[in-house]
Amino acid sequence: MKGKVFALGVLLTAIPLFAHHGGTSLYDMSKEVTLEATVTEFIWTNPHVEIGLDTKDDKGKVRHWILEASSPPVMVNRGWNRKSLQPGDVMKVTFNPSQRGGSVGRLIKLIKADGKVL
Amino acid sequence: MRNQFRWSAVWLLGILGFISGCSAKNAGKPISQVPDLSGIWLGKPIQSLSPSDPTAQKPGAEGDIPYTPWAIARMKAERPATGRNQTFANTTDPALKYADPDGYPRASIHPMRFKIVQTPDYIYQIWEYNKSWRQIALNRPHSEVPDISWFGESVGKWEGDTLVVDSVGFKDSTWLDPIGHLHTEDLHIIERIRRVDPETLVFNFTFDDPKAYTKPWDGQLAFKLKTDGIMTETIYTISDELNFRQHFLNEKPTIPIRPSH
Repeated sequence: MKGKVFALGVLLTAIPLFAHHGGTSLYDMSKEVTLEATVTEFIWTNPHVEIGLDTKDDKGKVRHWILEASSPPVMVNRGWNRKSLQPGDVMKVTFNPSQRGGSVGRLIKLIKADGKVL
Repeated sequence: MRNQFRWSAVWLLGILGFISGCSAKNAGKPISQVPDLSGIWLGKPIQSLSPSDPTAQKPGAEGDIPYTPWAIARMKAERPATGRNQTFANTTDPALKYADPDGYPRASIHPMRFKIVQTPDYIYQIWEYNKSWRQIALNRPHSEVPDISWFGESVGKWEGDTLVVDSVGFKDSTWLDPIGHLHTEDLHIIERIRRVDPETLVFNFTFDDPKAYTKPWDGQLAFKLKTDGIMTETIYTISDELNFRQHFLNEKPTIPIRPSH
């Protein structure tokens, strides 16, 4: 994954919409992690949409992540729908990591390989 | 297919007939003589109804909310899932802990849409969150003994270009907003609702609840018109919440989760 060129896009900074699920009690809002990743599942669900991702480290070891997005109506207001992501989509994601460790996080921004920003 | 269409049309006409039938006595002014509040509306996300602290950075010490000692003690004991000292895992927020309805006005504070349907005698507020709704009966007094309910009992009248709504009968377990402003069953809300411009609807609230607040206090919510016609569905269920907690907090479900397929 390293060295793969991604088209440049305007990064959208997420408004803090996670009044209930997530926030400072679950995620370290002072840290932002950016990774190149491949979508494994995109779950359009309540209370908040979930994005499953695989990343690879420098040695090629795969790590699976689950990122929390927002609720479906809020995502719709921002131009998403239940088919916005498909398994196999490659992207660059930025997220706040969990306070508790583990491979979960809160989505901040996402750029698909074709440069499309969601 | 044609029969199906015909029956759908009959149903639709029946529903419209029921709504217009509510105006049979023409108790209210014709819609054409009052402002049109109808449409889909979306507000900005806030966490507190305190005008000085909408992001809930100083709950309990806002300065513009006159708590009674009882209310401030209760407020300090609550653990909201938002604001400066938020906790999600052990929150006491009844809408999260028990999947209780938000009640009013909290239902309007989600960063989600609601629709206003307006007839001469009733105004309906329909929220996409939890598919909940509220009725405002126009030009009528309150019931002799209003029921105690999640969304209260609301009556309203037009004063010029402003809809003035009087609401009572609120179940005391709801919070007024996500940060946890409390109330009792004595809560009395006066709202002044006005379309300040074609794109903007403003609700000015006065909250009067002598057991919780030493004097009435004011809050405001503003909404922008959405013209794309979209109203989605998001319903907060225990199964979805248990799934979320399993994925993001690594919590074991306390009851079996409903299978998704």
